[in-house]
Amino acid sequence: MTTSLANQAWDACSSALQFDQYLAGELDPPDAERFRAHLDDCARCTSALNELRSGAKERLPPLRVVPFPPRSRFPIRALAAAAGIVAAASLLLVVRSPGTRSKGTGFTLGMYVEHQGEVRRAGPGETVAPGDAVRFAVSAPVDVFVAVLSLDANGHGSIYFPAGGRAERVQAGNDVALPLGTRLDATAGEERILGLFCASPVELEPLRLQLERGGPEIPDGCQVTRWSFVKR
Amino acid sequence: MSLDAGAIERLYRSHGHIVLRRARALLGSEEDAQEALQEVFASLLRAPHSLRNATSVVGWLYQSTTHFCLNQLRNRRTGARLLQSSVAPAPAPAHVAGRGGEVLAELRRVLSRLPADVAAATVYHHLDGMTHAEVAGLLGCSRRKVGYLLERAQRSLALLEQSA
Repeated sequence: MTTSLANQAWDACSSALQFDQYLAGELDPPDAERFRAHLDDCARCTSALNELRSGAKERLPPLRVVPFPPRSRFPIRALAAAAGIVAAASLLLVVRSPGTRSKGTGFTLGMYVEHQGEVRRAGPGETVAPGDAVRFAVSAPVDVFVAVLSLDANGHGSIYFPAGGRAERVQAGNDVALPLGTRLDATAGEERILGLFCASPVELEPLRLQLERGGPEIPDGCQVTRWSFVKR
Repeated sequence: MSLDAGAIERLYRSHGHIVLRRARALLGSEEDAQEALQEVFASLLRAPHSLRNATSVVGWLYQSTTHFCLNQLRNRRTGARLLQSSVAPAPAPAHVAGRGGEVLAELRRVLSRLPADVAAATVYHHLDGMTHAEVAGLLGCSRRKVGYLLERAQRSLALLEQSA
């Protein structure tokens, strides 16, 4: 094999697969016992195992999904007409221009929740459950760069939309479903949602970090909608 | 084994790091690795029955991650060809600069040129350190076939090195 491949090889007595299966409790008891016994005598394998254990502690972002039923079973239009009034009345739309904040209109964020196979339109303050899937929809009078951020009850910020690091262009329209959904994790409590509508593809990671620190500073040229749901 | 959405979410929390670690190694880009993580579990949500015949969840995640990442590498190669035919060469990105970056970039170029089953066998055997029997288990073929695939990889790599 080439030097380049050899340099990248897993460096332990058993394969990476066997290490992961051991950590996941998938090895048969006799195999697991042999594995443990070997670890006692092998510093290299012990080191590899510790490294994998350390990696397993990394906090993962929320699972994004698009698990909703086909369009025919997803009554966006019928629900949107009724919910639009609620959304318009409930969402606080803040316009940020240099140095000032004021109320504005035109951009709204909606949310749909799938719970045990049933999809409903959610309102601010909605109660949802861990494992529910949520998907956002926006109404915008013009094409706009959109992002959806969240702050969970533990103070962890996430970017629900888009997948990339910058706000993504969404075409003008009414209740345009964003192409990514999110499967909610088990963190209970109130989760704050921030919908950003911007004139340019703003960088999102700095905003996510600011959100965790009590912000964010809304970039010039952006409008923001805020709401929350409660997970229990 | 077939899982509901809640169980898949729990599986994501408990096993997602395996996918992320391997995708980082194979793709060399944090953004692409995060995308691989999401795609592997999204595919499970779309088709939870795909785990039905799996004897090992970890093994299934290895297969799914490898399949996704090798596809990504092949797509990058196609994209790079298209770019080269229409725009001037761009400077190498910072993350592939330097000797270590060159080695990794070379590795990914090599994998993107191998047939799918040969590339997968190469990844499992040479990068994950699997025995021929373990590779055979994941690929669903005989150990003899694994030996043949790895020989083909050797020959392909030798040819690529000669032409480089």
